[in-house]
Amino acid sequence: METVNFVLGGLGGQGILFMTKILAQAALDKGINVMGAETHGMAQRGGSVVSHLRLGDVESSLVGAGRAHFLLSLEESEAYRNLPFLAKGGQLYANAGDNSFPKSEVKRYLDGIGAIYRAVPAGRIAMELEAPMSANLALLGYFSAFGQGPLSQEELRKTVDMVSPDRFKEINLRVFDAGFQKGREEA
Amino acid sequence: MREEILLGNGAIALGLMEGGCQVLTSYPGTPSSEILPEFVRLMKLEGVDAYTEWSTNEKVAVDNAFAAAVSGKRAACCMKQVGLNVAADSLMSAAYMGTTGGLVIVSCDDPGPHSSQTEQDTRLMARLAKVPVLDPSNPREARQMAKLAMELSERFKIPVILRPAIRVCHARQNLSWEPISGEGKRASFEKDPLRWAATPRFRFILHGELNKKLREIAGLFERLEAHNFHNLDPGKSYSLGIVASGVPYSVVKDILEEEGRGDVPLLKIGTPYPFPESLARAFMSQCEKVLVIEETDTVIEYFLREKERVLGRLSGHVPSEGELVPQVVHRVLEGAFKEMGLDPLGPGGDGQVMELVKGLDLPVRRPTLCPGCPHRAAFFAIRKGRAKTIFTSDIGCYTLGLNLGAVDTCLDMGAAITMASGFYHAFRQDGIDQSIVATIGDSTFYHSGTAGLLNAVYNDARFVLVILDNQITAMTGMQPTPGLGIRADGTQGRAISLERVVKGCGIEFVEVVDPYDIKAMGKVLKEAEAHVKDPQGGIAVIISRHPCIIAYREEAIAERKSVTVTEDCDQCNLCIERFECPALYVDDKLGRTAVNQAICTGCGVCLQVCPRDAIVEV
Ligand code: SF4
Ligand code: SF4
Repeated sequence: METVNFVLGGLGGQGILFMTKILAQAALDKGINVMGAETHGMAQRGGSVVSHLRLGDVESSLVGAGRAHFLLSLEESEAYRNLPFLAKGGQLYANAGDNSFPKSEVKRYLDGIGAIYRAVPAGRIAMELEAPMSANLALLGYFSAFGQGPLSQEELRKTVDMVSPDRFKEINLRVFDAGFQKGREEA
Repeated sequence: MREEILLGNGAIALGLMEGGCQVLTSYPGTPSSEILPEFVRLMKLEGVDAYTEWSTNEKVAVDNAFAAAVSGKRAACCMKQVGLNVAADSLMSAAYMGTTGGLVIVSCDDPGPHSSQTEQDTRLMARLAKVPVLDPSNPREARQMAKLAMELSERFKIPVILRPAIRVCHARQNLSWEPISGEGKRASFEKDPLRWAATPRFRFILHGELNKKLREIAGLFERLEAHNFHNLDPGKSYSLGIVASGVPYSVVKDILEEEGRGDVPLLKIGTPYPFPESLARAFMSQCEKVLVIEETDTVIEYFLREKERVLGRLSGHVPSEGELVPQVVHRVLEGAFKEMGLDPLGPGGDGQVMELVKGLDLPVRRPTLCPGCPHRAAFFAIRKGRAKTIFTSDIGCYTLGLNLGAVDTCLDMGAAITMASGFYHAFRQDGIDQSIVATIGDSTFYHSGTAGLLNAVYNDARFVLVILDNQITAMTGMQPTPGLGIRADGTQGRAISLERVVKGCGIEFVEVVDPYDIKAMGKVLKEAEAHVKDPQGGIAVIISRHPCIIAYREEAIAERKSVTVTEDCDQCNLCIERFECPALYVDDKLGRTAVNQAICTGCGVCLQVCPRDAIVEV
């Protein structure tokens, strides 16, 4: 398999690590080797947090500039901050209000490199289900609706089910499904 | 067989266990903190019996592990790179004395730095102490090297350092393993005072023995093909070859592979010291020039001879500070390829997008204390009305008191106290009674607070010391402290009372206060200052005690308060700038401060902060 690179961005406390874990575990369950890089320590106290995930046979855990096939961001500014990672023809999924995203100058750039970009109000979706800390799962569900990359919606959902601690299982799946539903309407 | 996606630190724990590690000690510090908890988790999973401890500091950790290693056991201790400074005294001496069993010191580096005071390179420390060092490139290799380090140590009776960098520790990779038996040696100590208590005359002899061991290990490293290897075609000559180690090796390897650059050979050095000199010489003999890519300092580059054929930091080809992330490595390779007339590399991210991002003026996300953090409340009270006070502080979450204007210095572990006494005497000498408030966390105080406090009392320094007791080592991921007495494996040990330790240091003024009550905290601070000024008084210690809101969600919030901001808010922004709770923000539509209910913890501390009483309970 060709290596597939993900970059996931957000702020400390938004659950970037959990989102990465689901993608990684789903890949491993499919027999794909995984390698990733995480942020721990001081930045976890609300600073910019980024995590890299590489599916395939690689030596290094870091995604190079212009090499990410997928950029998933839990926050609009963090999506912009991580733009340099996005490959030509790559795809960007962001938690953002749908009509203002992306800013016009960013849009020009993304169009220029042939990137696909989609915004989803993942925070609002999670909030409506009274799980304000679960925007990560709404974004992941949304992403899964487009059938992009080596992991299918069923595989990701199954992994959410498997890795969520019991008391969060039900709500996590509901938020994931709501994100997926939103994506389905657009796909 | 089991398979898991392990954190690099988990891979190291696994390798140590496969290497028969029976005793593991550690003091937490990013990026090393997860090794011990992962080891404990694997112990339970594999049914392996071992002794583990969170030691009070890194020197204590090394000494304890060393004793096990001279009892014939296999022992290891883990710390971050600056922790090895604290343990340097032990390390230097242990290298001379040697072991009878195995001793692996895992010292995790932090190029960047992401979460440390310095970017220092542990490999230089290994060179200084004259002990072998292994430099893994990713979790898989870290696991192999942890096991190898233990075997080497026992075979040559010498401490061995494993130096993973943060991108190994906090990388994740799927690894599988077979059941681990966990059989170990029984403790036995043979008295040999000429070694275990050697006087300088015998140290000279031990030094000779150490040098002999190193020569033998160097010979072994020359042939250690699993970790030291290259891909030269015999007989072919190249204009440029690359020598790389550690994390940068993996980055270089991926780039060359992706770009299909078989024209550029690569030598990997997994054992920078003792240096496999012949291997390097053979590699250089087929290359006109070599480019050295290593983190964080120059080590391999120093060892290579014929400097006029070496490109690296000394020649200005590689940046001398910061992490060698793929973009940086790409740029370094690009420059060297061009200089040597090689084909250019493919694009590695273009400058245009960097410019674009810069032009967007994105908000700087500085880390901040969590919503509901007891430190915020304490700092708010400490800072109030003390613009001229010098605030010495220390290392932990509370260093972020910086944002609240209540932290002026942060030197090293324990320096809140030692710098406070230093400041006091420096000003006192000029007849100035400088007001000083020092802040230190509970874990940091146990780590290296007492020696400084004893010194300050003995020499009659005067300052207020606030021990921020949140009953956990929070920043590094919630490790227990001696104050609670919970041990590394989760069992109950003996709790140590902070109050009694402080009193035992000769402090007469000791008050415990809950910082959530800002008024009470303010009052105690005033009393403390009076005690400090009183000629008959002395140093005053306030124990500001409230559990960390992340570690103890339930206990930290006795009763959840629902807060909101009324129209009385005139946007003075005091609560946002001086108090900086992340749950408070300016709502542009409302034209006043508002509460982000998604992250508000309901601690209610902000109710005491607004000068207009516009923050109210609903
Ligand atoms: S983890 Fe605990 S101590 Fe650290 S900032 Fe958050 S609440 Fe405060
Ligand atoms: S109650 Fe006030 S201080 Fe506490 S978390 Fe909520 S907004 Fe912040």
